[in-house]
Amino acid sequence: MVSTAASLPTGIRRIFAWPRVRFTLIVSAIFGLLMGLHTGGVGVFILRAVMVGSVLLLVFGLFELWPRQLPRWLPRTVLRLIAIAIVSPLAIGFSVGLTGGGSQHDYGLMFGVTFLFAPWIAIGTILRQRDAFAREQALEFDLQRSEFERRESDARLRLLQAQVEPHFLFNTLANVQALVDSGSPQASKVLSSLIAYLRAAVPRMHAQMATLASEVELVRAYLDLMQMRMPDRLQYAIHLEPAAAPLECPPMTLLTLVENAVRHGIDPGEAGGRIDADIWLRDGRCVIRVTDTGIGLNAKTHGLGTGLSNLRERLRLAFAGEARFTLTEITPHGVCAEISFPGTPA
Amino acid sequence: MRRPSAIIADDEPLLRDALSRLLATAWPELLIVAYARNGREAIEFFDLHKPDICFLDVQMPGKTGVEAAQHIGRRSHVVFVTAFDQYAVQAFAQGALDYLVKPVEAPRLEETVARLKERLAASQPALDTEALLQQLAQTLRAPAPQGLRWVRASLGSVIRLIDVNDIDFLRSDEKYTVVAWRDDAGAPQEALVRTALKDLIPQLDATQFSQVHRSVVVNLRAISHVTRGENETADIHLKGRQETLPVSRTYLHLFKQM
Repeated sequence: MVSTAASLPTGIRRIFAWPRVRFTLIVSAIFGLLMGLHTGGVGVFILRAVMVGSVLLLVFGLFELWPRQLPRWLPRTVLRLIAIAIVSPLAIGFSVGLTGGGSQHDYGLMFGVTFLFAPWIAIGTILRQRDAFAREQALEFDLQRSEFERRESDARLRLLQAQVEPHFLFNTLANVQALVDSGSPQASKVLSSLIAYLRAAVPRMHAQMATLASEVELVRAYLDLMQMRMPDRLQYAIHLEPAAAPLECPPMTLLTLVENAVRHGIDPGEAGGRIDADIWLRDGRCVIRVTDTGIGLNAKTHGLGTGLSNLRERLRLAFAGEARFTLTEITPHGVCAEISFPGTPA
Repeated sequence: MRRPSAIIADDEPLLRDALSRLLATAWPELLIVAYARNGREAIEFFDLHKPDICFLDVQMPGKTGVEAAQHIGRRSHVVFVTAFDQYAVQAFAQGALDYLVKPVEAPRLEETVARLKERLAASQPALDTEALLQQLAQTLRAPAPQGLRWVRASLGSVIRLIDVNDIDFLRSDEKYTVVAWRDDAGAPQEALVRTALKDLIPQLDATQFSQVHRSVVVNLRAISHVTRGENETADIHLKGRQETLPVSRTYLHLFKQM
């Protein structure tokens, strides 16, 4: 048995953890004192009780760890109680024998007290252990949750910082330069779109709310620019119901959906596709639907999402859980993103 | 003397024109034999014309410029044209690859042209960049480091994308996977994913999802508490769901024993 304990280096420390030893000593001493006062010979009974308590503690701890695996029909709690029941008489005989023997009354008293109290103390300890285990787990999960929350606010911050991507800006400017160099009459119109896009996008990052009318303007400027860049691969249509135009939404809501459709649906496909953005009011709720006929999600799904996940989070915060966001696939290929939230005029 | 030839590949037509116009000034003898709109066409036109030089945009639909360059190998001098993107530019600069950054500037293009003329005149073979390209192609293809964000699941006849953050747990169901998730109203839902659980697991963020049983993966955020059962098992109780999930012996170490 000693070698078993030795093969569990953390085990021995667990079996004789100080709180347990202290608890055992105190309880044994109290019972010893009571028995001693009852029969006379307080010192002897305290010594006996402490010896019995220590042996039971050892058994209790040992069968907590050993054997490592138990058959399904034998719960560990039962095993530990059986072990205590078997060892108790031995421990009592041992302790009385070592302390110079005793009367039949001494044996009877110790048996009675041990069998009356030891199982309950053991069961109480097991239950307390379970409780502590559950508490520790709950604490662990709370810690993890707060970590997730911190990461989420970080993600929101990054979205705000990275909205006008240098990649987009420089690529667009390269196109504008090409138009200017070739003396194209289109140059001035495209530059106006870029200015409209930047003007709309830059202050918006800090605004609390935007109107759908201004969102549509921003998206129109963005799609104009993208169409200049890939004229043979992108068609689009935007339809805004006049009743929905003055409604409020978090800034960049529509742009995030449309950008996502371009970046993950249209741009990666050789054939490109078509984007339809529809905004309308239905039963007091504003509905925004963006569909694209791009490559869909079969091929390169992994990039999809950072922007959309962030958007969902921002909608959740802005509308206190009243916003709905669904993303579905359309046939033969493409994605449909639909958002709805309570319509409140600015 | 034979005029040197080149192809230009870029998915943005205005940028193809711009580069060809700049080249007309910087290298009037250079003959642009074809314009490709994507990586696949670049490979096609290369095979057809066997040009001396290939100007390849890095990010193109279908096959990327790097993948096209891998096909071309040392049979032609490759010049990458890349949008503003510090990672790609860094990789090119370190790897001694020829590259131009959009918008292309005339002085920079002249340097590149001078280098290319030198190599053509000396009949130098193209640089051996195979290992480097392999590495670049992998970087461009690599999935986002944060792992899977949306799971494609069937709800009746509709294919819906479920945000992984909304998933409570995934349970293996023969060769498919049942996803237990929350809709926007917070109500528990179930949907079917046509991917085996074992194929989904490597794509999930390991700090958020944990396998707790041969056939169960749980979102740690969805756990309310864990109760330890008999015989080295435990049950996971979820927030706002009736069902409990089993933790098998193999995974019990995740929920540290006392």
